[in-house]
Amino acid sequence: MSGVDIEVMGLTKRFGDVSAIEGVTFRAPAGRITGFIGANGAGKSTTMRILLGLVTPDEGSARFGERRYRDLANPSDTVGAVIDLAAAHPSMTARGHLRTYAALGGHPPERVTEVATLTGLEAFIDRRIRGYSTGMRQRLALATALLGDPRVLVLDEPSNGLDPAGIVWMRTFLRRFADDGGTVLISSHVLGELQQLIDHVVLIDHGRVIWNGTRSRLAELGDDLEAVYLHLTSTEVIA
Amino acid sequence: MNRLIRGEVIRLFATRLPAWSAVAAVAAGAMMTGLLSLVGPENSSPPMPGLDTPEGVGIVLGINGMLLFIPALIGTIAITGEYRHRTIGATFLVAPRRGRVLWAKLLVYGLLGLAYGMVTAAAAGLALSGAAAIRSTPLGVSSPELGGLLVGLALAAAVYTVIGVAIGALARHQLVAIGVVLGFFYFLEPLLMIMPGVNAVYPYLPGGATAALLDFTFLSDAVAAEMPIAAPQILSALGGAAILLAYAALASVVAVAFPLRRDLA
Repeated sequence: MSGVDIEVMGLTKRFGDVSAIEGVTFRAPAGRITGFIGANGAGKSTTMRILLGLVTPDEGSARFGERRYRDLANPSDTVGAVIDLAAAHPSMTARGHLRTYAALGGHPPERVTEVATLTGLEAFIDRRIRGYSTGMRQRLALATALLGDPRVLVLDEPSNGLDPAGIVWMRTFLRRFADDGGTVLISSHVLGELQQLIDHVVLIDHGRVIWNGTRSRLAELGDDLEAVYLHLTSTEVIA
Repeated sequence: MNRLIRGEVIRLFATRLPAWSAVAAVAAGAMMTGLLSLVGPENSSPPMPGLDTPEGVGIVLGINGMLLFIPALIGTIAITGEYRHRTIGATFLVAPRRGRVLWAKLLVYGLLGLAYGMVTAAAAGLALSGAAAIRSTPLGVSSPELGGLLVGLALAAAVYTVIGVAIGALARHQLVAIGVVLGFFYFLEPLLMIMPGVNAVYPYLPGGATAALLDFTFLSDAVAAEMPIAAPQILSALGGAAILLAYAALASVVAVAFPLRRDLA
């Protein structure tokens, strides 16, 4: 399958007087896992929401291959996204939730049980979401993203609240996904958590990309990536 | 478009809203009309026309018009649930053409409102006929006339649901939207009805149009009797229906247009 690169070019967004991001530019290539790292409030979510067409940028563009998200023929066939972990109606079961989004996206109903099995939700699928733990909600969010069997995954802080077994499972899953030619853009506010997983690193701080390159190049700056990250962000603040 | 409608139907029936709506429809239809019919409007204080007059039938059915905030709330809860539980982002991810999502929701919720209206009208009709039979009072309207009034009630419920959806789409916050709905129907509209001069608009408000559709003039007549102001002349049934449909159209445009370009940050 041909890969779909994510191209982000000069994104700028202000909310009122507050500048959320400024000139954010990076590329997340197919077949790779790109980590989008920054402190809370650094602009990760805004960037990802613009990429997914939920927020309109003041300047710049964000594309999957040649197309903006909303110009994709059937977006959920190409891109699976996790943007909000709490997003589910508490009185629904996971099956009801997944059936809703399978129907909205035009995906066959068999996908509901397939993605539930894939994400380890099958034992809880007929339970109401009200009783779900954070980790189970995480799996549900990921299962929803996978309904269209996408080639690109955009995941905003997907490992928040996952138990250690869940994190290991997600790492294995994402590695296999990328090795099969898929594109993964994954954000986190802790570099350490993704250190083992990511191939590319995009560091964002105060709305600007301050470093962008492969993990091995970042490793040349120091052994401890977390220390390198803190160093890079603090020099930016001083400068 | 078809899959959006199907998705919204699946979503709706995956929640308990349809079941609660059915319970509310039966309770609202049977209770108010049933109780008032059993007691008899002529036995109330002050006495009102009895069931054997068209006015009396209008009163016991029209009292149901005062419960139309229920379908409005159903519409509001249905749409604001998406914001409250933050699923609207996931929905717009699957269907970035937001206008179509909103049209599908309006259609599905509008049909839910119509179903509510049909159930509540049937319950009210049964309660009224049952009470009249128990009291051995002949009804003051013919069966076709009664049918017409009940159809009007069902239609009004559908329109109120759509108005509720529009208010929900505008306010987004569930509690705020519920407050707006209740505030409008219980405070603002009655206030407009009794304000001298301003009350000329009453026939054109949703409540006034519903009163026309249900041939329910008791409220406005009572106001005129109590206050030194002219009774607002309510419209004909068809006029009321036209006004209500215009409100539904306006509400639909509002519900579809406003979420279109808003950032989901």
